[in-house]
Amino acid sequence: MRRCRIESLGVSPPRRGAAGWGWGALRHAVAAGKSCLRSSRHRPADVRVLVNSGVHRDGHVCEPAIAAYIQHRLGINTEFQGRRTLSFDLLNGGCGMLNAAQVLWALMQGGDVPVGMAVASEANGDRRPDPASAIAASGAALLLDISPRRDVGFGSFAFRTDDTAADLYTSVVDLTVRRGRLLLRRRAELEQAYLAMVGAAVDEALAKEGLSREQIDRVVPAQISAGFLSRLPAASGFPRERVADLTGQLPDTISTSVFLALQRSLAARPPARGEKALLIACGAGVTVAAATYHF
Amino acid sequence: MVRIESMGVYLPEKVLTTEDLLRSCRRRPRWDLERITGIRERRVAVGEYAADLAVQAAERALSMSGHRAADLDAVICCSISKHNRPDRFDLEPATAVRVRRAIGAGRALAFDVVNACAGMINGIYVLQGLLRAGAISCGMVVSGEHNMPVAETAARELRHSFDGQLAALTLGDCGAALILDGSPDGASGFHWIDLVTGAKHDHFCHSRPSRRGHGGALFTKARGLQRKGNQHFPFYLKQALDASGWTLEDLQHIIPHQVSVRAIENGVKAVSRFLGCDLPGITRCCADRYGNTTTTSHFAMLHDLILRGEAQPGDNVLFVSGASGIVISHAACTLDDLPARYRARFGTGG
Repeated sequence: MRRCRIESLGVSPPRRGAAGWGWGALRHAVAAGKSCLRSSRHRPADVRVLVNSGVHRDGHVCEPAIAAYIQHRLGINTEFQGRRTLSFDLLNGGCGMLNAAQVLWALMQGGDVPVGMAVASEANGDRRPDPASAIAASGAALLLDISPRRDVGFGSFAFRTDDTAADLYTSVVDLTVRRGRLLLRRRAELEQAYLAMVGAAVDEALAKEGLSREQIDRVVPAQISAGFLSRLPAASGFPRERVADLTGQLPDTISTSVFLALQRSLAARPPARGEKALLIACGAGVTVAAATYHF
Repeated sequence: MVRIESMGVYLPEKVLTTEDLLRSCRRRPRWDLERITGIRERRVAVGEYAADLAVQAAERALSMSGHRAADLDAVICCSISKHNRPDRFDLEPATAVRVRRAIGAGRALAFDVVNACAGMINGIYVLQGLLRAGAISCGMVVSGEHNMPVAETAARELRHSFDGQLAALTLGDCGAALILDGSPDGASGFHWIDLVTGAKHDHFCHSRPSRRGHGGALFTKARGLQRKGNQHFPFYLKQALDASGWTLEDLQHIIPHQVSVRAIENGVKAVSRFLGCDLPGITRCCADRYGNTTTTSHFAMLHDLILRGEAQPGDNVLFVSGASGIVISHAACTLDDLPARYRARFGTGG
């Protein structure tokens, strides 16, 4: 199996106050995508598959795939000529970007997708947003390619879903209101449900590679809340100092959260060669995802 | 090679004729919609929603499968219409999670793949990738399309005969599910799946909540979408034939996305022009009876072909799809003994 690596990571972090005006989900996705392409050695035309995992969209558009809008605005093979790109949405709440990474990894194994891009962005663009449904608007993008080194890139993926708890986290568009209105509902038991599953997801991801917790140098979880991060070390079995707690800088941004946190974590402490990280995402379903990454 | 191990299609019983739908329009368009589209009627779900249609189809697929729900490694749901309650459009959790829970696929990876009407072909492409990489050994691609709320919005809001919502009156409801696994004989299954997005043309069709009243709405520049699609898809169809090592004589069925009877006829003309020869009469159409059931339309057609005894084990099928985005997709597939097993399970009643 060839590994697939993050060749480039771009983010469009939440903007505070007036600086955030006019920043919808699509603008964040495109900003993150451009940032990602700028720091990449690949050209935009090299991207064979573009996957968007952002759940909440401007104007609650459900067709076409938002990935097509992103592809268009990033100028990636937009016409039916020459090189081609497939764009589609892959939706799975906060775990969507890790699902997208796994799907791109799988497509790369077949050899016909050498370079792929996973993008996500979130925003509540309602004119009069429901007060309980605020989302810190943000974007994140990954450019993935087949790693030139056997020991660099994603190692394993594990997804655990407790569908009996699916109603703990719902996000719906109320269509009785003109233009629709987003209603995001997270029950108080949600974080406990995440924590109850995180140990099993971590065990599975590590077991697939024969790794132990001691071999993981850095744990980058979704920044759900300060309370969640304070209980995560005990639930996941990692010492607190190895878990990236950035809740002071980053709110929960749903599908983009893990990669916003990864970008901050890597900026604060660049990875050493051979370092191993564990990414942990949580989302509706209720689903917890874990993935190992080798730098 | 990845094969269709099992299939389930659920068509609601209630029939709504185009004439009855037009009668419900606040302002009836001047066009004879039935003549323009060739769609006489469609199926309408009553008291059932998108996830229910998907679950019904999934249970039918499981009922003739060698795999149990608990054995499925993945459930990928491709519905565009996520109307699971009146006046609600669900974003989270993923519809795949609802299907997973309903059928008891307790260990399955579950997520949604959404790519307009090419959704199920896209879902097959993704599942094929996971199967080939060894991440899973079998999985389900499922979709439930409860499109009638969008048609009802159009019926309320149409203002004139060129209104962008006119195409929403062609829609119908349906559920479809496929169970895919590795082909045991290496001869049956998907030889080629290809999808390409010409994102420069993303403006031809979009769906969002209505700005004028309540409900979801679909806006389509149908002529532009068809013209652009017909300009480009024949090239990819030829490429699919070449990649599969097939000629037109090797094909038993071409199953296009069932937009409308007229659109399919125009597509056939476009292919004939591109290839420089007439297509044999193997292009299948059920849009006259089921309307445009979006992501599920290819498999509603395959279901119909099998139950009418026109699809046989070993038949070569080319699925062709054009979807908003614009996405052009082709999937070349050889059926195993699925038609025989499907008829044995569902007889002629579906």
